[in-house]
Amino acid sequence: MATEVLKVSDLKVGFTEDKVDVPIVNGVSFQLQQGETLGIVGESGCGKSMTSFSLMGLLPSGIHWQGGEVLLDGNPLNVTSQKEWRKIRGKKIAMIFQEPMSSLNPVYKIGNQIIEMIRNHETISKKEARVRAIEMLTLVGIPRPDKVVDEYPHQLSGGMRQRVMIAMALSCNPEILIADEPTTALDVTIQAQILELMKSIQAKMDMSIVLITHDLGVIAEVCDRVIVMYAGEVVEEASVADLFDQPKHPYTKGLLNSLPNINNEKERLETIEGVVPAPADMPSGCRFYERCPAAHEKCLVQPEFIVVDNQKVKCWLYHQ
Amino acid sequence: MAKYIMKRLLHTLLVIIAISMIIFFAIRLTGDPVTVMFGAGEPTKEAVEQITEKLGLDKSLPEQYFIFMKDLVQFDLGVSYRSNQPVLDLILERAWPTFLLAMGGMVVAVLIAFPVGIISAVKKGKSVDIFGRIFSLIGISFPNFWLGIMLILIFSVSLKWLPASGFDSFSALILPSLTLGLILSGILARLIRSSMLDVLKMQYITTAKSKGIKDWVVIIKHAFRNALLPTVTFMGLQFGALLGGAVIVEQVFAWPGIGRLIVDAINQRDYPVVQGGVIVLAIVMVVVNLLVDLSYSIINPRIRTGRG
Repeated sequence: MATEVLKVSDLKVGFTEDKVDVPIVNGVSFQLQQGETLGIVGESGCGKSMTSFSLMGLLPSGIHWQGGEVLLDGNPLNVTSQKEWRKIRGKKIAMIFQEPMSSLNPVYKIGNQIIEMIRNHETISKKEARVRAIEMLTLVGIPRPDKVVDEYPHQLSGGMRQRVMIAMALSCNPEILIADEPTTALDVTIQAQILELMKSIQAKMDMSIVLITHDLGVIAEVCDRVIVMYAGEVVEEASVADLFDQPKHPYTKGLLNSLPNINNEKERLETIEGVVPAPADMPSGCRFYERCPAAHEKCLVQPEFIVVDNQKVKCWLYHQ
Repeated sequence: MAKYIMKRLLHTLLVIIAISMIIFFAIRLTGDPVTVMFGAGEPTKEAVEQITEKLGLDKSLPEQYFIFMKDLVQFDLGVSYRSNQPVLDLILERAWPTFLLAMGGMVVAVLIAFPVGIISAVKKGKSVDIFGRIFSLIGISFPNFWLGIMLILIFSVSLKWLPASGFDSFSALILPSLTLGLILSGILARLIRSSMLDVLKMQYITTAKSKGIKDWVVIIKHAFRNALLPTVTFMGLQFGALLGGAVIVEQVFAWPGIGRLIVDAINQRDYPVVQGGVIVLAIVMVVVNLLVDLSYSIINPRIRTGRG
């Protein structure tokens, strides 16, 4: 039995409007095992990025923690002070982002940006940190790492910059890597390389990955388990194989149906009708009600999670 | 880099030739210097002709311009009609006070504007920011002659702490520097604030925070360093402007700078001094600009490496 590194229970994150808390992330729960890759999939604005930022204590101004609990190695995260947060960020949980082109500071050399990370968490000399930085660049497959270490971000391509971001994120050997749409801004061939790289490094370092994406293809490529988010809530949780074989929630089915299929001769792609309701204007029942092809009266009341064939799904269809 | 500097120097040369033409012809539109020289007296026709000839003003305009340029390339700016001193000496005499005042103004502006701009941006919307923005607005709105006079009234006349004029001690530099610097700090603080706000939104700031480094390191090392880029150009241009444009403050504080020299020369239609003064200021301005661009390439690696 693998150890559980992260446990998120009933996480609520949102903003306050007219003294009323409006959650963007509403009661999200999941666990992450050591060495596991968990995918979080959903449309833009479903709260998947907010979930990841709350794990780093880096919520944008105006957005705050409204409830729930996050345990990192059994220790609650939500009560930590800024000083403690700084020991967690980079050291325990590291993060890479969607836009490799703007993720690195343009005025500092690549090596110095990695060295800053290492020396922030470990007491070692600049020289040693530099050696480690070059090692990390080698690990992520950067050609000529001893040259690149003294180059500036603009001298590298987007794919190379994302490799540098990964090298930097992993330089302090974190337990968890949060990857927020790490391949969305990259060419398809580069995407595959980056995902491949993340998988191989994960195996070497035995770390856990939380991969946030809207791309089910990416999920299929690298994840062990997936949670599907809709309008700030988790609607389904399953292993990757189960999710693609037998999606349970109508929203998951819709997402899978809207993927292009090479065997399908239809000219237009399937879509899910309608739009996601606004955070301040959520229905009291199932949040997918308005757009759901299987909606019925019961759905006006919020469904509970139910376990069907090893999958957790939040839908009345499976309640007897 | 050498190619870039060569290109800039050529550019500079063209600018200076254009300025020399403009100032040469413009000053000749202000009237005849010879009549001013005689003041209220009634000069004889012969006397006027004699002096006109002596000053070379009887020659055609293109010819005069040619002579002026020929001397200029030999660093000969001519001799003042008024004092008969070489113009270059007059300017060099005034250069140090002007430079000192410009530096003083810049130091005051930087010392005030950097912290105000940074804190305003970081505490956007908080009371500190509102205070900072009001301060900036006041700085921008105050006419500098008024501020100068107010400072004199408070610190020289009432409190008797600092001298109101003169150029003999460090304390004499304080009030004129404050006048120039306070005005400049208003605009500079605004610029830094907005530049910081742009930078703080960037992804690499989130990256820096995600590394677990201290907030002030993120703000100064990662944000401010980038926010400085657009500011440096502005500061360079302003420094150039301070060198030539501190005329009013020089008048208020009786500061013996180049600005006052040129204003007096214009009043007296002292062509060589006006031409020489403006040309020297133009050269300084262009050189400052060049230095700013070169310094820009030091703080912005994207320019240095010739890509991006």
